[in-house]
Amino acid sequence: MTTEKDGISTAESLRKTRTYGKFRCHNPTCMERLEPKKGDKTIKCPTCGMEFRVAWVKDGFPRIRGPVWDVNRKIAQDVLEKKLKDKAKEEK
Amino acid sequence: MPLKRKIAYIDLTTGDIEVKPIPIEVRKKFLGGRGLDAYLLYNHTKKGCDPIGPDNTLMVSGGILTATCASATARTHVMAKSPLTGLLGSANMGGFFAPEMAWAGFHHLVIKGKAKHPVYIYIHNGEIEIRDAEGIWGLPVTDAQWAIRDDLGDQEVKSMVCGPAGENLVAYANVMTGIKNSGGRSGMGCVMGSKNLKAVAARGTMDIKIAHPVEALEYNKRFIDQIISAKVNQTQGTLGTPFIWGATNSWGGIRCRNFQYNQCEYADDIEPERIDEICEETMGPYHMTGCFGCQVHCRAQYKITEGPYAGRYDEGPEYTSQGAFGGETDTPRANTVLVGNHLVDQYGMDNLETGSLIAWAMELYEKGILTKKDTDGLDLSFGNDEAVIEMIDRICYRKGFVGDTLAKGGIQASKVFGKDSFQYLIQVKGMSNLHSDERATPALALNIATGSRGSDHLRSRPAIDLYHLPQDVLRRIYSTPIPYDGPLSSEHTEYIGKPWQVFWQENCYMAVDCLGICKYHTTFLGATLPNFEDWPKVLYYNTGLDMTPEEIWMVARRCNMIERLFNLREGLTRNDLEKGDMLNHRYFDEPTRRGAPEVVGRVIEKDKFIKMIDEFYEHKGLDKDGNPKPETLKELDIENEPSHLV
Repeated sequence: MTTEKDGISTAESLRKTRTYGKFRCHNPTCMERLEPKKGDKTIKCPTCGMEFRVAWVKDGFPRIRGPVWDVNRKIAQDVLEKKLKDKAKEEK
Repeated sequence: MPLKRKIAYIDLTTGDIEVKPIPIEVRKKFLGGRGLDAYLLYNHTKKGCDPIGPDNTLMVSGGILTATCASATARTHVMAKSPLTGLLGSANMGGFFAPEMAWAGFHHLVIKGKAKHPVYIYIHNGEIEIRDAEGIWGLPVTDAQWAIRDDLGDQEVKSMVCGPAGENLVAYANVMTGIKNSGGRSGMGCVMGSKNLKAVAARGTMDIKIAHPVEALEYNKRFIDQIISAKVNQTQGTLGTPFIWGATNSWGGIRCRNFQYNQCEYADDIEPERIDEICEETMGPYHMTGCFGCQVHCRAQYKITEGPYAGRYDEGPEYTSQGAFGGETDTPRANTVLVGNHLVDQYGMDNLETGSLIAWAMELYEKGILTKKDTDGLDLSFGNDEAVIEMIDRICYRKGFVGDTLAKGGIQASKVFGKDSFQYLIQVKGMSNLHSDERATPALALNIATGSRGSDHLRSRPAIDLYHLPQDVLRRIYSTPIPYDGPLSSEHTEYIGKPWQVFWQENCYMAVDCLGICKYHTTFLGATLPNFEDWPKVLYYNTGLDMTPEEIWMVARRCNMIERLFNLREGLTRNDLEKGDMLNHRYFDEPTRRGAPEVVGRVIEKDKFIKMIDEFYEHKGLDKDGNPKPETLKELDIENEPSHLV
């Protein structure tokens, strides 16, 4: 009837891969695992510099509430400016 | 037995009602719910019929597992030719209606014709009657539902209604089974309105015999554990679906100001935690509720706190209302989102389509294509909260030039507005895109381009593509139940391997829609949630139907192909901007300007996008033009459709 291996399905077996107390940086090519300390309200990614506000679903279960707007906005503006300049150079 | 639930053919023109069993061979091929609805639509709707004419056929259904011991089998599905797109119309909603219909003896209704005056259909323990609805016509959604209960003298009646938007033939009117349980996105409420059908009401106390009840309950414990242990569902149960919009906005994956920005900055007032605070302030700490048989409880309850609607109760808002009335219109204020959500719920109107078209009109206003003369003096600037609320009302009641025109849907409206208005309309197959921006996520771009009911996130979106899952995890998910040894990439900015993911998700979502299970209980937002390997036992213990994961996969493929056949019959062609698998030029030409560093400056690369479509077609068994190959139809055992088996 089913194709379970070892009595559990693939989806069930993937539960072992879950991490607790951490989330990933929201920068797609960074995706660093960040682990805020209990009660932290913000966290800075040590790899790419993006900064996030932290919310707690419950103890030990943090999530990114949103960016620290001023910090990440500046990063985005700088990157966009550079990309547009590079593109203009390429087109020349 | 659930398999004994019947199908009723109801002709509103003549009043004739015919009840039939659903043959077991039909169940094995299409299971139920959306899949069987697609079969019925293809068989019972004439090519080229007027979507708001009596020849359009409206299907209403529950899944094959509806009202059994299986978790979260609350979904009601409706299907017809869409008045919004002229192609497949399909909507799926939670609540309590489909289980009640199953207890009343029915899994499927096929409704055709047009009543001479407003009516509603009442289904009760194997009986069906068509009742007068003159006193209910015109009522908003919740009032209509209570009026039907009063009319029948039974407070336990569940009903599926259209609101004023459906009566007024707004092309994207919803059907609603609760205060906010909405069958939205393709105008099924408009089809109801066009038939003078205000509601379908159900009340049932008929027993459903479970094939193997002890095993069904025992296995369901395991199923529930799998569902509630998922982190994504724990978050949903705390914050509801708004967490999705909040997370997506954080990295720059939403639409703002129609399509000009991909992030709504400083949107703290509509972030999920803020909305949760309002829900708690107005409804207390236990403000989350759920649908029939669901343990997740993703539905928040709230009251509006300020302004002319203060004190009004509603549910949600879903992430779609945050995007529609907060992000897209650049009005990130909680009250605007909560009021907007309340109005579309009561009017029975699609929040996504409404918000998207208001944002589109705002961009046209910004560019001078629409003027104050067109808007009867309304300042339709982005960021104008009052204009958003006013436009919702104008669309529903078709007031003024812009309100009446937007009610026709985007493509029809663009023909009225003229100039370059179509260039700014963010849609696929005539349906506005979700409030998400897919320029940094090629898999999601492919998903919206090829969705069977138009631009849509609930038909094939590989949402877990955003989680940067390791290769081996992706491989394990996407190689079950059908082996796949092609490429897969953990990077959501990549193009490689994405067509297979979209193809797999398309079949996964079709399968849950046939079973009648909510998508939050499968591989949609969480990688560890049940899918093909987990369903056979649920199906067997509850219905006695013994199917392998591979057989369920084939059912899903077959049903998706039937939807494709319907769309092709109604004029779908690959590259048609109005009816094809193609994106608006802005995806290819205008780079993103906000968000995370790797998201900024991105477009969809057209040559790679075209290759993705080619590859996706190959997986589906289509030729380069998007038509099914003869051998594919044979493999799926639908080479003789329409076959009129039922």
